Amino acid sequence: MQAIVTEDLHVRYRAKNGQNVHAVQGLSFEVNPGEIVGFLGPNGAGKSSTLKCLMGFVQPSAGSCSVFGLAAGSLEAKRRIGYLPEVALYYPYLTPLETLTLYGELQGLRGSRLKRAATDLLEQVGLGQAMNKLNRSLSKGMLQRVGIAQSLLGDPEVLVLDEMTSGLDPIGRKELRELLKARQAQGTTLFFSSHELSEVEMLCDRILLIHQGKLIEERPIQALKDELRQFEITYQGAVSLVDLALEWNELGDNTYRARFSDKQNLLKALDRVQREGRAVVDVVAQEGSLEEFFVETIGRAA
Amino acid sequence: MKLRVWWALARGVLLESLRRKDLWVVAILGMIIMAASGALGFFGVEGLQTFAKDLGVTVLGLFSTVIAILTTSRLLPDEIKNRTLYPLLARPISRFDLLAGKLMGAILATWLAFVILLALTSVALLMFGVRFEVIMVQYALLKMVGLGVLCAVTLTLSAFMTPSAAATLSFVVAFGSSMIVRGLTMAYETSSPAMQWFFKFINSILPQFGLFDIGPRVANENWAPVPLWVVGGLLAYGVAYAGGMLLLAWSKFRSQAV
Repeated sequence: MQAIVTEDLHVRYRAKNGQNVHAVQGLSFEVNPGEIVGFLGPNGAGKSSTLKCLMGFVQPSAGSCSVFGLAAGSLEAKRRIGYLPEVALYYPYLTPLETLTLYGELQGLRGSRLKRAATDLLEQVGLGQAMNKLNRSLSKGMLQRVGIAQSLLGDPEVLVLDEMTSGLDPIGRKELRELLKARQAQGTTLFFSSHELSEVEMLCDRILLIHQGKLIEERPIQALKDELRQFEITYQGAVSLVDLALEWNELGDNTYRARFSDKQNLLKALDRVQREGRAVVDVVAQEGSLEEFFVETIGRAA
Repeated sequence: MKLRVWWALARGVLLESLRRKDLWVVAILGMIIMAASGALGFFGVEGLQTFAKDLGVTVLGLFSTVIAILTTSRLLPDEIKNRTLYPLLARPISRFDLLAGKLMGAILATWLAFVILLALTSVALLMFGVRFEVIMVQYALLKMVGLGVLCAVTLTLSAFMTPSAAATLSFVVAFGSSMIVRGLTMAYETSSPAMQWFFKFINSILPQFGLFDIGPRVANENWAPVPLWVVGGLLAYGVAYAGGMLLLAWSKFRSQAV
């Protein structure tokens, strides 16, 4: 059973100016149990609308979405999901502990189990010292941690996180990454939207890229990294690698540099240089930029 | 199970209202009233018990109405504006439960404010030498039912319009419904059958806040307590009307995109 399935999902809104906005247009994808999937796209691509559909906040205009085979938005489905909204201002006159207690009670947790769960989660997200301060006195990053803690209440099987790193400092991001990795190790499925491509790269198993409400790329992150990785060699002596390299040029002083997009061509080039008895000065592997991939792919789709 | 959900939501509303110090404003106002009335008593102003009671119930009615409307009108819109609605709706609770819990919280916060104000006003009246009467308890009970209805009306309006529009319309309904009903009654006799039907319809859907306000009976001496069956009937009407309002709010909110 897939953790998340959307089939030909369409979401239409009537905007405030009266015009119809087609936020999601025929989106179909699946998320496997235990997988971490990053949901990417430029602003207004339809990410939040899709997540809202998954949570039942918005009804699809057409198509469907489900969580473990249960209709999205049903009480049964919501029992199995934790959700983090984008930048929420949690009740200013409640403390983080009271906020989590409120959400926990709605989740069906009671008594000492609820208190322990709320306290443990607040400590896990680094709010152990601030759990009894009013939310209004907390910084944006600390409120985001309250949000992360509430999404984990009741040990959900699926986590749906909208812009999860918003407001977090680098330490907070690292801690969150570790926390989510630990959850994944316990079998939790993660589906999140983000503009932080470095986070996506470090955390995801797979990415889905959408633009104007349509899925334009779906790729395992490792395959994408391999595809984007480039190799560069610097060597001395005039050995032509023009047939193998992406770029090949002379640096002067009888020194040459060649760039390759795949490992096979690199190995062939090294073999050729060595057979010619030339000296290899340097070999460098350059990780590709997900940002460039993102910009190029969106540019092609636009 | 549902009562637990409603209570959890209501407790949150109540706790926020207490910490936001809305209710303290009421307490301070009450203390001012008490101090002013006490001063009149101190200077030996005699025979003003009726005036004092009239002033007391008027002030109680006014401030509790303001508290009820201001507390309730921003509940739902604030949840949407601050995005706290999402973590609530992400829980395994229905949208009806969410509205019911929020309404329960608003009613409890309003009642608490009313009780504080009532206690302070009672002290002031005692200083005036006003005797305790059963009708005063009936007044408080019916006023609280009326405030509950007002909270339900305001919550419903806030599901359909902006918080400021909901608050304004609630004030119009709270303070103007009696006048509208009086106007309709006067115009009824001279109207055509179609208009009479229309007036009856308007009269039946308007909340009859006047029925819950027996302040004038309290203020005037020697009024007998209201028969219990009338109190029971008004209680049933209040619960039914508030329930109807809640259903109306739910009909709008149940499939609303948020």
